[in-house]
Amino acid sequence: MSAAIEVRGLSKRFGAVVALEDVALRVEFGRVVGFLGPNGAGKSTLMRALLGLVRPDNGAAHIAGLPYAHLTAPAKRVGAVLDIASAHPRMTARAHLRTYAALGGMARSRVDTVLSLVEAQSYADRRIGTFSTGMRQRLALATAMLGDPDILVLDEPSNGLDPSGIAWLRTFLRRFADAGGAVLLSSHVLHEIEHTIDDVILIDHGRTVWTGALEQLVTKDAPLEEAFLRLTQKGPLS
Amino acid sequence: MNVIHGEVARLRATGVPLWSALIALACGGGLTLLLALTGPQNAQPPMPDIDTPEGVGFVLGIGTVLLFVPALIGTVAITSEYRHRTIGTTFLVVPRRGRVLTAKLTVYTVLGIVYGTIVSLSALLALIVASWMRGVPLGVDPADLTPALIQLSLAAAAYMLLGVGIGALARSPLVAIGIVLGYFMFAEYILMLIPGINAIYPFLPGGATASLTSFDFLTDAIASQTALAPATVASPVLGASVLVAYAAAAAILAVIAPLRRDLT
Repeated sequence: MSAAIEVRGLSKRFGAVVALEDVALRVEFGRVVGFLGPNGAGKSTLMRALLGLVRPDNGAAHIAGLPYAHLTAPAKRVGAVLDIASAHPRMTARAHLRTYAALGGMARSRVDTVLSLVEAQSYADRRIGTFSTGMRQRLALATAMLGDPDILVLDEPSNGLDPSGIAWLRTFLRRFADAGGAVLLSSHVLHEIEHTIDDVILIDHGRTVWTGALEQLVTKDAPLEEAFLRLTQKGPLS
Repeated sequence: MNVIHGEVARLRATGVPLWSALIALACGGGLTLLLALTGPQNAQPPMPDIDTPEGVGFVLGIGTVLLFVPALIGTVAITSEYRHRTIGTTFLVVPRRGRVLTAKLTVYTVLGIVYGTIVSLSALLALIVASWMRGVPLGVDPADLTPALIQLSLAAAAYMLLGVGIGALARSPLVAIGIVLGYFMFAEYILMLIPGINAIYPFLPGGATASLTSFDFLTDAIASQTALAPATVASPVLGASVLVAYAAAAAILAVIAPLRRDLT
C-alpha cells in the first residue's frame, strides 16, 4: 500500500534563495505527523509543492502514490489548510463552501455537514469580512473537509483558535487518524502539538533534520520544545 | 461542467452580476437618456438631433466610449482572486489550471454578452422614452437598430475578455486597473494625436470598436481640434475581426499566464 504522503529528493529555489534541498518525508495512514521547523525553514513551500501550487526544481511529491494533479478527485482525497485569508470578504461562509463544493463536484449537502463539523452553523450566513481569525480558521478547516478526504495537510491550523477550539481540533485530528486518515500538521505551538502528534518531521534551512516517532525524540524531562531548539542549533532556553 | 457551475456560484455569491447589471443600466440607459434629452445639437461640436439617423447613431455610439467599463469588471473580477488569495484554494480543488481559467473565460464571455445586451436594450428604451418626452420622432425605426445593438453587445463581451486577460497577467488589482484606465482613457487618444501613428487606429481596440459600430465622432472631433487628418475607421467586418483577435489573444493569455506560476 502506498504511503499517504511521500516526498523524495524535493528541491526548490526562489532565485538565490534555497527553499528546499533534497527533502524526503513519508506520512503513513493512521498517523498524525508534526511538520516542524523555524520560520523560513521551508514548511509552507513543501506543503505547496506537495499540493501542486509550487513547481519543484527536482524530486517527487506523491499523495497515495500519485502527484496531486493526477489524483482523480483531489479534493475528495486531500483536504488542505494553507492560508486562512483565502476567502472573499463579501461572501458568506455558506456561499464560500457552496462555491468550492460546486467546483469539486461535491454534494451540496456536504456544506451543512462541514459547517456542523467545525461548529460554525451560527455564523454560516455572515459575510466572511466580519469574521475573527478563529472563525476564518474554522471556515478553512470546513473547506478542507468538504470532500470528506482521508488525508489532511494543515499549515498552522490552530492559529487564532481559542482554547476550546484548540481542544476541539486536537480531538478532531486524533479521531481522524484513528479512523485511518493521515495528517501532516505544521505548527509553532510545540507544547500544544506535542499532545496531538504521533511522528515528527523537522526541517531547517530547507533540509530534513530529523524524522521519526515522537517518543524517540522527547522524554519526560526533555519536551518537544527542547528537542526542537537542540536540533535547530539554538540550544535550550536558559 | 462542475468548474463552470462553481464559477457561476462564485460570481453570484460576490454580487458581480447585480453590480454589472446596474452599471450596464447606467452606462446604457442612463447615458443615452441624458444625451437624448439634452439634445445632441447642444454637444460640442453640435451634432444632428435624434430625429435624424446620424443623431441616433451619435447617441448610441457615444456609449462605446464607456466600453472600458466591462473591461474593468473583468479585470477586477480576476484580480480579486489573487487579492483575496482564493486562487490557491481554487487550484487545490481543480489542479488542472487550464480548466479553471477556461471556465472563467466562458462565464465572463456570457456575462459580457449579458452586460452588452442590457446596455443595448436600455439605450434603445432610453431613446424611445426621450423621443416621447421631447415629442421628437426618432430618425430611425427602432427595429433597424438591431444590428448596431448586437454589435454593441458583442463589443462589450470582447472588452470583458480583454479585461480578464489583463487581470490574469497583471494579478495586482491596482496595476490591472491602471493598465485598463491608462490605455482606454489616455494612451489610445494620445496615439490618435500622433501623425502617422494614427493610421494604425483601426487596429487598436478602440479603433476596432469605432469601425464595428461605424462611430467616428471621436476621430472627427480630434481632427477638428487639431491640424491632423482624422484617423480613419475601417469596415465593420474588419473592426469585428480585430476585436475578436484581441479577445482571443486575451483569452489565450488568461489561460497560459497562470499555468506554470508558483503560488507562494
